[in-house]
Amino acid sequence: MLDMILSQTVNGLVLGFLYVLIAVGLSIIFGLLGIVNFAHGAFFALGAYFALVLAREFGWWAALLAPLLTGAVGMIVEVVLIRHLYGKEPLLGLILTFALALLIEAILRMVFGGAPLPFSAPRFLSGFVEYGPILLTKYRLFVLGVTVAALVAFWAFLTYTPFGRIIRAGSRDAEMVGLLGINLPVVFSFVFGIGCLLAGLAGLLAAPLWTVTPSMAASAIMPAFVVVTIGGLGSYAGAIIAGLLVGITTAMTIQFQPEWAGAAMYVLMAAILLLRPRGLFGEKWERFE
Amino acid sequence: MTDARKPILNRSIGRRSLLLGAGSLGAAGLIAPRLGMPYIGNAAAAEPIKIGMIWAKTGNIVDQAEYLAQGGMLALEQRNNMLLGRPAELVWLDEPNPQGAQQNAERLVGEHKVAGIVGGALSSFALAISSVANKAKVPYVAANAAAGEITGKSCNKYTFRLQPPVEVHTRVLAPYCKDIGKKWYLLTAAYAFGQDIKRSFEEYAKANGITIVGADEVPVSTPDYSSFILKIRAAKPDVVIGGLSASDLTTYLKQWNELGMRGKIPFAEISVGNTDLWGVGPEAADGLYTLTWYYKNPNNPPEEQAMAAAYEKKYNRPAADKAWMGWLGMKSLLDSIEAAKSTDSAAIVAALEKWHVKRGDLDTGYRPFDHQMVNRLLVAGIKPKITDKWDYFDIKAELPKTQADIDAAFGSQADSACKMTG
Repeated sequence: MLDMILSQTVNGLVLGFLYVLIAVGLSIIFGLLGIVNFAHGAFFALGAYFALVLAREFGWWAALLAPLLTGAVGMIVEVVLIRHLYGKEPLLGLILTFALALLIEAILRMVFGGAPLPFSAPRFLSGFVEYGPILLTKYRLFVLGVTVAALVAFWAFLTYTPFGRIIRAGSRDAEMVGLLGINLPVVFSFVFGIGCLLAGLAGLLAAPLWTVTPSMAASAIMPAFVVVTIGGLGSYAGAIIAGLLVGITTAMTIQFQPEWAGAAMYVLMAAILLLRPRGLFGEKWERFE
Repeated sequence: MTDARKPILNRSIGRRSLLLGAGSLGAAGLIAPRLGMPYIGNAAAAEPIKIGMIWAKTGNIVDQAEYLAQGGMLALEQRNNMLLGRPAELVWLDEPNPQGAQQNAERLVGEHKVAGIVGGALSSFALAISSVANKAKVPYVAANAAAGEITGKSCNKYTFRLQPPVEVHTRVLAPYCKDIGKKWYLLTAAYAFGQDIKRSFEEYAKANGITIVGADEVPVSTPDYSSFILKIRAAKPDVVIGGLSASDLTTYLKQWNELGMRGKIPFAEISVGNTDLWGVGPEAADGLYTLTWYYKNPNNPPEEQAMAAAYEKKYNRPAADKAWMGWLGMKSLLDSIEAAKSTDSAAIVAALEKWHVKRGDLDTGYRPFDHQMVNRLLVAGIKPKITDKWDYFDIKAELPKTQADIDAAFGSQADSACKMTG
C-alpha cells in the first residue's frame, strides 16, 4: 500500500503541474488586469487546435508556435473587447468573456467539427521511466519541465525587467503609472496576451493527453478556477501551491474513494475557503475593494 | 419605462393604418400562392409537420451527437423533407444535462407541437426524455442510449429504443473476455450506462468463476486517468473491462497508451462509437469492442450502403455508426408516421410496433412488449496496422448468430422487467 501511496503522490504532483500551467494564465490576467477571464478554457482549446494544425501541416516542431498564435489572438481580443471593461463592474467582464468562450467554441466546432481529432506526443518523448513503484512517462516529465521553466521565466520577467516593474506598478495604480507617461493600454494588451499564451501552451501540452474537441475548454476551465480560488485570486505563488494540492488530492481520492474523484477538488476548495475566505495567498487589494 | 420609449408604445393605430394593413394582408393572401409562397393563404393545410431531435450540442457526448443528428437529417432529406404530403421539418434542441434534456423535451411538445422525438445521446438523457414522452403521450425513439432500464423497468408505451441494451452487449462480449483471462478489472463511468456495465459484467463473472480484481467508478468528463491506470497496473488483471463513453473513452485510451499499457493488458468495452476511436489516433488505438454497425461491413443491406454513400458524399467523411443510428431511429419514426397516415400519437405508436426492415436474414424491428429493437452486434478488434484514418476495425463476428441465440441474448417477455401500462 505504501508503494501505491508513493506512486500516486508523485503522479499527483506531476498532474498538479499541468493544473498549474492551465491556471496560472487565468491568475495573471485577474491579478494584473482585474478581469475574470471565463474564456481562458477556450484559449486553452484554441492552443490545442493551433498545435494540431501546425503539427499536421509542418511537423511537431511547428506546433511550438501554437502558444504564440494564441497569445496574438488574445492581444487582438484585448484591444477589441476587453480594453473597454477596465475599471467597470466586474460582472461585465464575466459576461463578456463567457460569451467569448461560447463564440470561440462555436468557431472551433464550425471549422473542425465536433468529433475528437487525434494528436500524439512526438516519438522522442514516448516511453516511460520506472523507479520502484513510481511510473512516470517521459512526456509528463517534459510537461513538468516546461511548466517549471515557463513559471520561472515569467517570474523573472516580472521581477527583474523594467517592463515587468511597469506591469506590476500598473496593476496596483494605473492612474499614477499613466501620469508618468507610460502607455498603459499597450502594457495591458501585452499582459492579456501573456495570459492567453500560457493558456495556449497548456493546450499544446495537454493535447497529446486529453481529447482534442471543441468542448475540451470545459474540462480546463473548472480546474483552473478551483486552483486560482484556492491559491487566492491573482496570486502567482498561490496558483502553484494550489495546483499541486489539487493534483495530489485528486490522485489520493482516486486511490481510496474513486467515485469521489470528480468532487475532491471542490471539497478541498470549500474547506480552504471556510478557513481562509481569500484563498491561501489572497491579498486585500485596494483597487478591487 | 424611459421617456424615449413612451411615445412609441403609446402610439395609437389610426383607422387608415388599420384598413391599409388589413388590405395588404388580404392581397398577400391572394398573391402569395402565385409567387410560390403557399403558406399565407392556407396555413392550416400546409403547416409543416415538426419532428423533434434532442442531441447534445455541448458537453462530452457532443462528438457522437453530431453524427446522430446528421443521420437524422439525412433520413428526412431522403424524403425530400415531406411527410404525409406536407412539408416536414426537424427542430433540434440541446441536452446539456438530464434536466436540460427534460426541459427541452417539454419545449418540443409544448411549444413546437412535434409529432415525435428522436434523441437522448446518453442513457441519463434518454431516461429524462422518456418520462416526458410518456407523460405527454408523444412517440419517442431513443436511438443511442444503452442502459437496460429504458426498455426495462422504466419502459413505457411511447418509448422505443434502437441500441441493444447493455445486457445484450455483455452477453456477446463477455465470452471473448473470459477467453483472454479470468482476472478482470472494471473501469466504468459513474452514471446509468457505466453502472449497468459494471453490474452485468459482475453478474457474468460471478456465474463463470471469474475474479474481479478491482472496480472503479469514474466521474464523467474526467480529464486525467493516470491515477486509475496506476491502480490497474498494480492489480495486474488479465483484461480491463471499460464502461466509459465518448470523449472519456478517447482520453482514457490516449493515456493508457502514454503510460505504456497498450498491448500489455488487453482492454475491452461494449457499444463504443467509431468517433471515440478516431479521436484516439492510430498509434494509441487498442481494444476489443462491440459495435452496432460499421460502414465497411459487407453484410450491410443495400439501403444502408446507399445511406452510407449519401452521407459520405454530403459530409466528406464515412458514416460513423452513430450516423447510422440517428438515421435508422429517425427513419423508423418517419416510416411509421407515413404508415399511420396521421400524426396521431396512438396511431404512430401502433405503426412503430409493426415497423420492421430486413437486415440480412433478420427482420429488424421493435418488440411490441418492451419496444426494444432486436438486432445483431459486431465484435471488432483494432487492426494491427491502421493505414486508412477512418478504417480502424477488424470485424471478428456478427452475433448472436441464430434466431434462438438472438432470443436468448435479448431475453423473453417473461424475463423482461418491462411491464407496460396504458
